[in-house]
Amino acid sequence: MNLQDVIFALGKYWADRGCLIHQPWDAEVGAGTMHPETFLRVLGPAPWRVAYVQPSRRPADGRYGENPNRLYKHHQFQVILKPVPSGIQDLYLDSLRALGIDPAAHDVRFEEDNWESPTLGAWGIGWQVLLDGQEITQFTYFQQAGGVDLSPISAELTYGLERIAMYLQDVDNVFRLRWSQDRLYREVRHEEEYQLSRYSFELADVGLFRQLFDSALAEGWRVLAAEGGRTLLAAYDWCLKSSHAFNVLDARGAISVSQRAGMILGIRKLACAIASRYVGGEPPAEAAHA
Amino acid sequence: MPERSEFLLEIGCEEIPAGWLGGLGEQLRERFAEAASREQLAPSEIRALWTPRRLVLAAHLLSRQADREEKIWGPSLKVAKDASGKWSGAAQGFSRKVGVAPDGLGQGRKDEAGEDYLLFVKQVAGRGAAEVLPAILTSLLRGLSFPKRMSWDAWLDDGKGSFPFGRPIRWLLALLEGQVLPLVIHEQEDGAQGGVAVTAGAESRGHRFLPRGRRPVPFAVSSLGDLQQRLREHFVILDPEERAARIEQGLQVAAAGDLLHDPSGLAEEWRDLVEYPTVVSGRIPEEFRSLPAEVLETVLVHHQKYVPIEGEGREVVRFAAITNGDGSNDAEIVRGMERVVVARLRDAAFFFEEDRKRPLAERVAELAGVTFHQGLGTYEAKAQRLVRLVDTIGETLGLLTKPERESARQAALLAKADLTTLMVREFPELQGVMGGIYLRAEGSYWETVAGAVQWHYHPLSIEEGAPPQGRLAGSDSTVFAAVSVADKLDTLAGYFGLGLTPTGSSDPYGLRRAAQGVVRAILDFWVADVNERRPSLRALAAEAVAGYGGALKRPAPQLTEELAGFLFDRLRYVLVSRGFPADEVEAVLGAREPDALDDPMECLDRLRALHQVRAEVPHDFEQLAVAFKRAKNIVGEGPHPAADPALFEKDAERELFETVRKLESVNGGYEARLRSLATLGGPVDRFFTDVLVMAEDPKLRANRLGLLSPALALFYRIADISKLGG
Repeated sequence: MNLQDVIFALGKYWADRGCLIHQPWDAEVGAGTMHPETFLRVLGPAPWRVAYVQPSRRPADGRYGENPNRLYKHHQFQVILKPVPSGIQDLYLDSLRALGIDPAAHDVRFEEDNWESPTLGAWGIGWQVLLDGQEITQFTYFQQAGGVDLSPISAELTYGLERIAMYLQDVDNVFRLRWSQDRLYREVRHEEEYQLSRYSFELADVGLFRQLFDSALAEGWRVLAAEGGRTLLAAYDWCLKSSHAFNVLDARGAISVSQRAGMILGIRKLACAIASRYVGGEPPAEAAHA
Repeated sequence: MPERSEFLLEIGCEEIPAGWLGGLGEQLRERFAEAASREQLAPSEIRALWTPRRLVLAAHLLSRQADREEKIWGPSLKVAKDASGKWSGAAQGFSRKVGVAPDGLGQGRKDEAGEDYLLFVKQVAGRGAAEVLPAILTSLLRGLSFPKRMSWDAWLDDGKGSFPFGRPIRWLLALLEGQVLPLVIHEQEDGAQGGVAVTAGAESRGHRFLPRGRRPVPFAVSSLGDLQQRLREHFVILDPEERAARIEQGLQVAAAGDLLHDPSGLAEEWRDLVEYPTVVSGRIPEEFRSLPAEVLETVLVHHQKYVPIEGEGREVVRFAAITNGDGSNDAEIVRGMERVVVARLRDAAFFFEEDRKRPLAERVAELAGVTFHQGLGTYEAKAQRLVRLVDTIGETLGLLTKPERESARQAALLAKADLTTLMVREFPELQGVMGGIYLRAEGSYWETVAGAVQWHYHPLSIEEGAPPQGRLAGSDSTVFAAVSVADKLDTLAGYFGLGLTPTGSSDPYGLRRAAQGVVRAILDFWVADVNERRPSLRALAAEAVAGYGGALKRPAPQLTEELAGFLFDRLRYVLVSRGFPADEVEAVLGAREPDALDDPMECLDRLRALHQVRAEVPHDFEQLAVAFKRAKNIVGEGPHPAADPALFEKDAERELFETVRKLESVNGGYEARLRSLATLGGPVDRFFTDVLVMAEDPKLRANRLGLLSPALALFYRIADISKLGG
């Protein structure tokens, strides 16, 4: 099954089960969780079912296209189900069957792996799903997002698309994946991996990114506090930008252990203020002098 | 209905973490035993069994509680009747409460000597187990404790509402003698009770996927035996012991005569990771077999939970893994596993190659770019402090020979250098270990240096026998201990200096464990015979604090004192956790001279001796403890002039004097001395019986205190014996 067929099959499968098929968020994010369709929609009481592909940038994982398993940018297929149907695990397993994976013929297991995002003030309980020893999905019952206790709970399924496709195609190098019938992953993405790795490890201007980090947070707080309200989506975009700036600085080795904690806290405070505004509360007092 | 009934509960869950299951089984058994006994159901044959997807509890119970009488006491007869012999208001009140006219009430005495009271004997009919159990089960579900709970939008109708659990519950089987017991978990909607989420029934479920080719469907069961049988048909082995045996067998087949290397007890964890364990084995390609064993172990054991299999040359040639399957598609499964392992090992091999392109010593300078702690500078600064500290330990404190000093110096400088290697960045758990491996590969260092670098983060556990026990000897062990102690004390001094001391249960920087590591490194790894100087925790703490110069916020003497106190507490903890009775530890730590902090090694010697000798003559020590508590109270703090035999009035005084004099001249080890001191109990006892210490004549009193004082002092050199026996 080509990579794009995997995406089609998962999209069709979840659309048939009531999921709205959304599109990737058009800003740099490290994971599908950061897409507002997840981060904001899991908040509050309104039911929601959504699925989308999210290209996820992790500058520190870039390897100039030389490592067969590691990428600056990989693709996640993200599903959010809120509230959680009681047969959720079977639903998930059926999605593997839709990809041609017969769980009875493999070793498919749910092994404890709780997820946490310190920058988003979010955490959940769950498993990594292992297919013959390979992690292919992170399965999480969200407990908190943006510091807000969630009720009802959402289930988040995050499929690692490259990994699953590699398994299905029986290749051990991501660049040898068939993306489509006649194109390899290498043709589509290798140069991008090289260039973006080179940029984030060698060229990214540390001074500029420090400034971007600070400005993005400041702008986020500023618009969040703007009179007339209805600004939290704009503020959230700035929150995402600060997070990406942090990741670039991290890849450049420009963040010390102690700075790291402070910067993560900075992003989290804004994310929490946005979440709290989303569920109808006021942003916490830090907003004033952030 | 028979007199006794079989009770069966199955809580069907989404996969519960393997590490929790044994504890949950125990909780179920104990909590149920307690509740069923309290409810007069006389539980027997209580069993808890489990797999990752189910917790099962079975027991035999009385089908019905016995009928019983309950005595309700009213007012005493004195109060119950007024002067004219009529029933008083109090009696009327009691009568109304129990619903029987006063004349119909009985009378009785609460105890033989007591007076008569009004009495109502209530006949309570026993309730059926089926009636009692639902409430027990609800509180059983509610009461289970988990290392981490989750909200899953569930609600229990027990007045407490929202019902978090370890993982979502998807089915419940609850039977009494084959009959379904009512038990319901609701959904939570808008913070209130919603529709039904799970209702208990008579059905269980089998393996998620097996048998192949069939969609699993629930099946009805009637008893524990039936459940186990049906589960087995559906590829679930309910009994963890049976799964363990199956794994053991599978491992032997997989090993095929080669050596299984399972240092962290993976086989035990496997037992609770799957419902139907089938062991498979895969190959490690030849090109990776030359990787250091520790690297292979990290990838296989820690990341993949596979057990390494060693070939004849002790190199890792294969691995064994657990699957939750019927074994019919092993070849393909193993191919997937091998692919994951190879990908990881390929990374590791690349790192290994890259890292060795430069000598480790070159990396020390790069540590200037790695922060140790915001307020305490970089790892480069730490490396320099460590060098200074081992120098001081060796030279100023005179604890290391010249070659030991040289090795410790090199190791201290290089200890943190591997933090900048690719391998440690990828596998942080290999810090220290990689440093040792790279130094050996360079070939220009003594093994002593490599060993000290490799192990210096240890000892991590307070258990005797934890690594690196048995791996280092003689000077190697002492040099390791010196570097390990220096590293930990430097961290402790720095964090204490910033005021980051642990409070209550919060110890985010693991400072208690670090201090225990210091204690253990000295007790178990510092090789020094009685004639050599031994490390003093107090002196070491002072030197570690001094290493920061004026960089710490707080004054050095105060910090040293605080740190020494902290180490003293950890010393006590380590000794108690070794299994020595707390009173013996207190007695030894309470000795005035020598101070345990000044020589913890000697403190352990004294403790061992006390433990040994006290076990030989427990009665003597009981007597001694009582006598010395008394003596200690009388003698108090003050120094007393030596006793003058001319002022003795009683034989008991002379006897005590002679005995003390004789014992003062006894030489030898602590055991020998304690054995002889144990004979002091009789004379001290007789002294207290025959002699009034606090005589009116001040001269006599002083003389008697002067006689007791050296008797106490004899012990104080070993232990404060008055602390024995609580």
